[in-house]
Amino acid sequence: MHELSLIQSIIDIIREERVKHGMNRVVRVRVVNGALSGAVSDALSFGWECLTQDGELKGVALEIVDMPLKVACGSCGLAFEPEDKHYMPCPACQEILGHDIQSGKELYIDEIEADV
Amino acid sequence: MSKTVTIVRNVLEANERRAASLKDYFAAHKILCLNLMSSPGAGKTSLLERTLVDLKGEFKMAVIEGDLQTDNDARRVAATGAQAVQVNTEGGCHLDSSMIEDAIGVLDMQGLDILFIENVGNLVCPAEFNLGEDHKVSLLSVTEGDDKPEKYPLMFHLSSVMLLNKTDLLPYVDFSLEAASSHARKLNKDIEIFPVACRTSEGLGAWYDWLRKARASKR
Repeated sequence: MHELSLIQSIIDIIREERVKHGMNRVVRVRVVNGALSGAVSDALSFGWECLTQDGELKGVALEIVDMPLKVACGSCGLAFEPEDKHYMPCPACQEILGHDIQSGKELYIDEIEADV
Repeated sequence: MSKTVTIVRNVLEANERRAASLKDYFAAHKILCLNLMSSPGAGKTSLLERTLVDLKGEFKMAVIEGDLQTDNDARRVAATGAQAVQVNTEGGCHLDSSMIEDAIGVLDMQGLDILFIENVGNLVCPAEFNLGEDHKVSLLSVTEGDDKPEKYPLMFHLSSVMLLNKTDLLPYVDFSLEAASSHARKLNKDIEIFPVACRTSEGLGAWYDWLRKARASKR
């Protein structure tokens, strides 16, 4: 449910960037969503649909790139992509605790395509 | 002509910026700020009622109460004599930093030792929004499932403390303290775990000792 507030933040950032870069009509926005961000991509898409029904972003495509979870083992340091977000045994040493998350927590606007 | 501009801006940057300035504020005023999170009904308000009464002589404490509607919780907390301010999110599922900024404007922060933020009852969304707190504290009651840390990993991953409340009901429910603890430690090996029963005060001593230690490290 907090995806709606996230979409509102995305829209606020787009407005700022539009002015900064002298953009006219926005055509496409790309957002990167990590597996651990807590935001559900489907809910983000739906939130975007709801909040861009009218106004300057009407009909603009929101592209969401899902970023997989990557961790480094807390014991031996091996970098791996766990299959399960909750139980992550290291394929080399079987350690399950203390992994360092290298990617998967991010949620950011990557790029905006617009008419200039 | 169309052009693509690379932006790379964190969607939560506005909240993160405010949270960082709140953190500076709490550091400058030497206030320990704790963000208390759980599902609805796990006992956040009961824990605060007990804590505010039992540690009244040791610390000056205040509470920011987050709820969708009503000021019921703020009134319960205020009955202990502590300062309380209610934030109604009007349907919102979490507190964000701008709400905390507003609440601080209403509270008397002078000489405050500990500020508790009781987040909206929800195991998902509140975990995403930093409020400038020193620690996130999650509360899980034994009438919920012991696999909650597994189902809602982010909150337990980010928490410094997990309290397992309502242990007085353990004989009547199928909840394993060991299973809940081991699920939480898989996500966060350093998490401090305290089984408590707010109704009978059992186990609260360990929680109070942790609070004293956390408070001392802010001085």
